[in-house]
Amino acid sequence: MAKRGGKLVMEQVQKRYHKTVALHPTSLDIEPGEFFSLIGPSGSGKTTLLGTVAGFVPPTGGRIEMDGVNLAMLPPYQRNIGMVFQNYALFPHMSVFDNVAFPLRLRKLGVAAVEERTRKMLATVRLPDFGHRMPSQLSGGQQQRVALARAAVYGPRMLLMDEPLGALDKNLREELQYEIKAFHRQIDATVLYVTHDQEEAATMSDRLAIMNAGRIVQHGTPRHLYEHPTNAFVASFLGTANLIAVIGKPESGEAEVRVPTANAGLLKAINTIGQGAMSEASVICVRPESIRIETGEQAKVCANSNRMAGKILDATYTAGTFRYQVQVGTETEAPVAVRLPSVRQSDMLPRGTNVSLVWPASATLLIRKD
Amino acid sequence: MDADTATWLPIRYRASNKLLVLLAWLILLFLITPQFVIVPLSFSSEAYLSFPPAGWSTKWYGSFANSPDWGRAAINSLAIGLPTALLSMILGTMASLAVSRGGITRQSLVAALMVAPMMLPHIILAIGLYPIMLWFKLLTSYAGVIIAHTVVGIPLVFITVNSALSRHSGSLELAAMTLGAGPWQSFWKVTFPLIRPGILIGGILAFASSFDELMLALFLTGVGTQTLPRLIWLQMNDYLTPTIAAAASLIFLVTLGLLVAVSILQTRSGAEKANAHG
Repeated sequence: MAKRGGKLVMEQVQKRYHKTVALHPTSLDIEPGEFFSLIGPSGSGKTTLLGTVAGFVPPTGGRIEMDGVNLAMLPPYQRNIGMVFQNYALFPHMSVFDNVAFPLRLRKLGVAAVEERTRKMLATVRLPDFGHRMPSQLSGGQQQRVALARAAVYGPRMLLMDEPLGALDKNLREELQYEIKAFHRQIDATVLYVTHDQEEAATMSDRLAIMNAGRIVQHGTPRHLYEHPTNAFVASFLGTANLIAVIGKPESGEAEVRVPTANAGLLKAINTIGQGAMSEASVICVRPESIRIETGEQAKVCANSNRMAGKILDATYTAGTFRYQVQVGTETEAPVAVRLPSVRQSDMLPRGTNVSLVWPASATLLIRKD
Repeated sequence: MDADTATWLPIRYRASNKLLVLLAWLILLFLITPQFVIVPLSFSSEAYLSFPPAGWSTKWYGSFANSPDWGRAAINSLAIGLPTALLSMILGTMASLAVSRGGITRQSLVAALMVAPMMLPHIILAIGLYPIMLWFKLLTSYAGVIIAHTVVGIPLVFITVNSALSRHSGSLELAAMTLGAGPWQSFWKVTFPLIRPGILIGGILAFASSFDELMLALFLTGVGTQTLPRLIWLQMNDYLTPTIAAAASLIFLVTLGLLVAVSILQTRSGAEKANAHG
């Protein structure tokens, strides 16, 4: 089974239904063996994009190629692309073994070969003794593992997964995330994975693409997208982002710019937009974990950092982290979220404490609003 | 409503509960009794239909079996009912697949039109079909009445297959396709086994509806192709012997048997469904 996954090239692929556009012209390359995720809110076009690759959704324009072969003319059953569905889609009238053997028997493999490969694949998904059971006798997680085995048993070069963990509860979902990752390494196929869970996507993927309103807004590694979002949608879709409104024109500095804001005064920020685009269509983004909280009078303005005064509105403790909501400026503005690991702090600061928020200019991004 | 619930319910509710059960039984009795009246009539010793019968005899079943007319009518009923069931199963299943999986626009309108022949009065259908059959020279032929009964049978299959299809997500067929099954293979290996009980139930209902159908048979069959219900109707006008009751009892028995078969099939596929969700 040591074959490389396929390379998928999409060029200007689009889908319209009458006047509504489900997918704007989209280009995307997915490398052989890569684990690539599409994330976005529902209706953002990710399932449509997946459907064009699977062959369920005929695109109204553009090209889709797998290892140089044009897929557009091929029906789903000739594409050799495996698919895993959210509702598992196991055939309820067939045993687990027959489900997994289904694609092999369609390909007219000999009885011995079907037997061997099915057993091997069931062992890979850690269900070696479940062959005789019916799908209805398995738990949701087990059913999805059977579905994985069935999709991959005939050695497709690409696997599509449409929210495969969406129907499972949280603990099981996390467990299966690592299992699917390990499975991916073993079968060595290219994976295109759809989810609306950004944490899941970040855990599993080599790269991911964030979709909104029928387009890919940005794609890259999970870290790159989190640390260098190009706009407010990406910043707030991945994790939590403090977005601070900009008023007026930013002044250029050397590496950084000085940005006037309503609440926080002049902030030093990294300009990700470039000279031309600096206007009120931009916003400041600061991640909650880059902010430090200072109490008392040690107010020393550091050259490369920003400082704002505020008052703690809410303080909670979750799993090793203090989460604060800090009101800065007028109450009409959204409070600033701050996250600090609890091990380095003595006590949680109570509500109503007056504090200073301090964070480096390098963690302050001037990004586009949309 | 188990014993558990009943114990803490106030006495007033429990009393009204019992009343409700009693009422349900009375309604059931009211619905069923007339069906069973025919049976004692067929065992009457009198030479005419009377209720209650003065004495008992099985001679009317003998006269039914020995009469060439009744025998012929029974064979006609089968010769019309079986092809009707088969045609209804094929066409009804195809229609149901098209409506629920074919991506048709105005799905619900098409579905309503499909079911219409079952809802509309048969007399309208009969009067409408009469000149058409005359035109195609199919009047009094087997083909004519089989076509007419199939028009009524298709909606029955359409409904039962629709409900079987709605129990299974369309992603099963999509999954089969991604695994390499073409449309034909994915139908026979995946869809068909899942909707088979629905098709069978629809077919049985279509046969039963043809087997006791009178209106269309009156208009479209002739002396050579007349069915049991039509012969009963004709004899009612002329003879009124308990042979009629014997024939009617046989129809009743066959229909009852078919309904039992349907309910067994339904329970079984219902249990499968419960399993699938368990």
